[in-house]
Amino acid sequence: MIYDVRHVTTYEYESSVSFARCTLRLEPKSGNGQELISHSVEIRPRPAERNARRDFFGTLTESVVIEAAHRNLRIDSRSRVSVSRQSPARDAQSPSWENIRDIAFEATSLGPSSPVGYVFASPLVPVLRPVSAYAAESFAPDTGILAGAVDLMHRIRSEFRYDPKATVISTPLNEVFDKRHGVCQDFAHVMIAGLRGLGLPAAYVSGYLRTIPPPGQPRLQGADATHAWVSLWCGAELGWVDFDPTNDLLVANDHIVLAVGRDFSDVSPVDGIIVGSPKQKLGVAVDVLLVG
Amino acid sequence: MGEGATEGTGEAGRAPGQRRVAQWVRDYSRLPGIPDEFLGPDGTPRAVWSSFFDAFGALAPDEIERRFAMADRHLREAGVTYRAPGDSADRPWSLSHLPLLIDEADWQQLSAGIKQRAELLELVLRDVYGGGRLVAEGALPAAAIAGSPEYLRPVCGVPPPGGRYLSIYAADVGRGPDGRWWVLGDRTQAPSGAGYALENRLVLSRAFSDLYKSMNVPRVAPFFEAFRDSLRASADRDEPRIGVLTPGSFSETYFEHATLARYLGFLLVEGDDLAVSDNRVHIRTVAGLKRLDVLLRRVDSNSLDPLELDASSHLGVPGLIDVLRKDGVVVANMPGSGVLEARALLGFLPALSRRLLGEELNMPHIATWWCGQRAARDEVLSRLDEVAIEGAYRRGVPGFDSTGPVLASALDATGRRRLVDAITARGMDYVGQEVVRLSTMPVWEHGQITPRPFVLRVFAAATADGWTIMPGGFCRIAEQADARAVSMGDGARAADVWVVSDKQVSTATLLPATDKVRIRRIAGVLPSRAADNLFWLGRYLERAEATLRLVRALGSPMRGPDKGGAPASIQSTERIQRLLVAWGAISQSSRAAPARIAAEALQSADRFGSALSLVRAAQRTATSLRERLSPDAWQVIIEMAERLAYEVEDDDSVISAAELTLQELASFAGLAQENMNRAAGWRFLDMGRRAERAINTTRFARQFAYDEAGDEELDVLLTLIDCQITYRSRYLLAPLLAPVRDLAVLDSYNPRSVAFQVTALNEHIAALPSLKEYGLIERPQRLAVAVQAMLATAEAEKLEVKTLFSLEQDLLKLAEAIGLHYFPHGPNASRPEKLTGLA
Repeated sequence: MIYDVRHVTTYEYESSVSFARCTLRLEPKSGNGQELISHSVEIRPRPAERNARRDFFGTLTESVVIEAAHRNLRIDSRSRVSVSRQSPARDAQSPSWENIRDIAFEATSLGPSSPVGYVFASPLVPVLRPVSAYAAESFAPDTGILAGAVDLMHRIRSEFRYDPKATVISTPLNEVFDKRHGVCQDFAHVMIAGLRGLGLPAAYVSGYLRTIPPPGQPRLQGADATHAWVSLWCGAELGWVDFDPTNDLLVANDHIVLAVGRDFSDVSPVDGIIVGSPKQKLGVAVDVLLVG
Repeated sequence: MGEGATEGTGEAGRAPGQRRVAQWVRDYSRLPGIPDEFLGPDGTPRAVWSSFFDAFGALAPDEIERRFAMADRHLREAGVTYRAPGDSADRPWSLSHLPLLIDEADWQQLSAGIKQRAELLELVLRDVYGGGRLVAEGALPAAAIAGSPEYLRPVCGVPPPGGRYLSIYAADVGRGPDGRWWVLGDRTQAPSGAGYALENRLVLSRAFSDLYKSMNVPRVAPFFEAFRDSLRASADRDEPRIGVLTPGSFSETYFEHATLARYLGFLLVEGDDLAVSDNRVHIRTVAGLKRLDVLLRRVDSNSLDPLELDASSHLGVPGLIDVLRKDGVVVANMPGSGVLEARALLGFLPALSRRLLGEELNMPHIATWWCGQRAARDEVLSRLDEVAIEGAYRRGVPGFDSTGPVLASALDATGRRRLVDAITARGMDYVGQEVVRLSTMPVWEHGQITPRPFVLRVFAAATADGWTIMPGGFCRIAEQADARAVSMGDGARAADVWVVSDKQVSTATLLPATDKVRIRRIAGVLPSRAADNLFWLGRYLERAEATLRLVRALGSPMRGPDKGGAPASIQSTERIQRLLVAWGAISQSSRAAPARIAAEALQSADRFGSALSLVRAAQRTATSLRERLSPDAWQVIIEMAERLAYEVEDDDSVISAAELTLQELASFAGLAQENMNRAAGWRFLDMGRRAERAINTTRFARQFAYDEAGDEELDVLLTLIDCQITYRSRYLLAPLLAPVRDLAVLDSYNPRSVAFQVTALNEHIAALPSLKEYGLIERPQRLAVAVQAMLATAEAEKLEVKTLFSLEQDLLKLAEAIGLHYFPHGPNASRPEKLTGLA
């Protein structure tokens, strides 16, 4: 399947901004059943400097400096991506979770795809006893890793309320967990925290969902913005398997991966600092069209 | 003996000194089963201590107390302080009066162990952030590194600018039951304590200068010199600019940051002082951006760059990590070095030493079991009551509130269950450590000595010729018998550390040999924030002075005509009160007696405009300027704050407190005038003072020399601006409106007049660097020149009160323009804001 993605981020400032330094992570990943065909980012006002590099996680990261005074910042990202993925069946056989936990921990690499980098607390995902205990209910001894994770994902989807007004980026995980509501990012963080609490390697994925569902299927939650889900290492054979707790499904061809990290702080698509206006209005528009 | 009284030797028996020492030894009750530094296993003093106490005991008891008092006074006067987490104010430093003595042979062994360890850790860092072979080949578990919040992914594969990860390293050591020195922990991030060690040494070596000399104690100065030279050499230009990056004056060790900056000749900077451009780090100064070559950081790695690390931090510099990638700045220690502070690593170091250095580790470390490994976890769980549980990667035990170790034996059944469950579920987050009873050293208490456990922090600096060790260190003494809980926050005392040598020591100081020095007349650059603080320090002190003068004018009639001062009428009393209300020195509704109002304006802590509040504001501002103020100047501010906070008892003492404080303000002004270099810093302090005095004097003139003012009001004005004598020597008349106005506002020869202040402001502005290239006159200068011209051409007879009003407005605008022009961090200036993130 080939998708055209348009991701437009706009900032409106109350007063003039004299300087901005931004970090952009807007280029979709290639690999694991996804190929990037083309990609471009247009920035207005025109930046004084643009430097791109791959970060630790392999994400193309662009540093942008804007020195012209401005009241509006517009970042227009266009990508064409082809996706062809096989997801395992929800009830497929898999190794026991204890087995996965022990193998992951013994990994002999510090690299970005080494599972051992994803079993510890990270800046936005602390390991919390109540969250670990919640996750443990899905992982009785000897449960298969897939079965356990599918069950946990299903429970989050049915017990947490999707509410875009309930949380902001800085809402701490314990509050999301106590109040049982939030958006895709919160659901992903809760699931990751639970899995890591058991010593399982779980990563955070940012990306997109196709805007118009296949005929006869409901439109998925989070389709008009950037989306987030969870990637769990399920052993050498299955590798990293992606779970979307917001929609209770295993990720297949409706999802486009932007970046992978330990939590949102590693993959934030647009980040930065400005000098000038303390008041800002953010707008994000995402369109994902199936073109072939 | 160089100074002080020594008692003569008795004819018949032993000297009183020897008797005293013998008595101290008898009363010194060692803790059972624990080695002691002073007394050997056989109960006799060890050689170094014995020569110390022979000399020390020879001092008469009152002489000892005098020396101790002198040490305490030095500490107080130097303003040595620290803050414990959660403190809202500084705590005074507590220094034990007896040093820790270590004989040279013992010290050589200890030094060799620390050097070896520093070298090993440097090699491990290179591997972990470089190739990762140790992990790939199984010599180091990936999880022991990956679990640390200090494992900084953004700097993986970035070679450290300057060539090394560790420029300074410290180890906490203690002497174990076997008599050997043991490493308790490694400090690789930004070790604190070296500056306190320096202060401790200065104080104790002064109080016991004779003893200090006679024991051949090597100086610590050469260590700092080597460290400074090494940081200089790490930069890629000849005369590098070096900054000490501090989190700011709320930091618990801010005093130390200021001490180090001053002693090493570096700039003390905060994140807001720095800006990234052209792949370099720059300091914002009153003369624009100036390149910075090296940062000695006291800010933790994760707070260094909100763009790549903790996004919520305001302590760092956006873009700093990217500058490291471009090799544009040296940061010491390299961000990410803190990863080696993880206790999980301790157990792997002996094997890593064999592998990387081809040597056995010289020094043992405290026995540590990392529960990430099954065998170690089982060991810990089976001996849960014998070990202390600590976090594997950082301070504090995950899931438990304490900042120190958790002892299973101190937990109730539920807590114990929780601990076992936590270790079973996520053992990798925990280590068990042997509970070591460390050796004790003598401390002085109530005229005798008593044993206390201690922890010694030893510092190593990387130089071109290898690691060099500070001879001495930072010693912290526990108040309880269990030395494992030592932290300054627990109220522990510090001690100086003397390495005792047989040989004469060289007398190196930080003053370089003359042939290496380039002559300089004006010191370095002035960061805008420091300039801003100096400006406000000047303004606060001047405002305090004006308030005190009002207080004195309000209170003086109560003292009777013979004690001087203008007898204020009801009308001028009301005007004074109105001014005090407008300044926020007293409450609006005050209908109390003048004496009560005076007391409120003097020392009400609730009123932001009271003299006490203003002096405290000055003190807060001065705190951020510690490295730029002389100890004398600092001392004056402290004394004023203490005096004003002391509740006055009667009306008369209100006036004397005001008068004494006015004298101290004069002495601060004198110190600034006589002792400060005529560089930009002095100009900003003086500009703050001049601007504030110009505004206040204009306001006084408006209130008391209004168009219909009588001689009684004019008299009050002359008192307020300290011009009684000048006026009377000129006019020999009762005060008249035009001459008084001329003296207060227009007379540029009178150092109290508005015109004098404005002339001085113009001189300062003209002497400061211009920031614009176009040759246009800048706003502060435009305003100042205009006001000066107005004052120069005005005539006293034609002056109207409305002119005074607009003069006051112009002066306020001028002060604001100075702030906006030179200080990007002023109240109206912009600081970086985070972009709102995406949902």
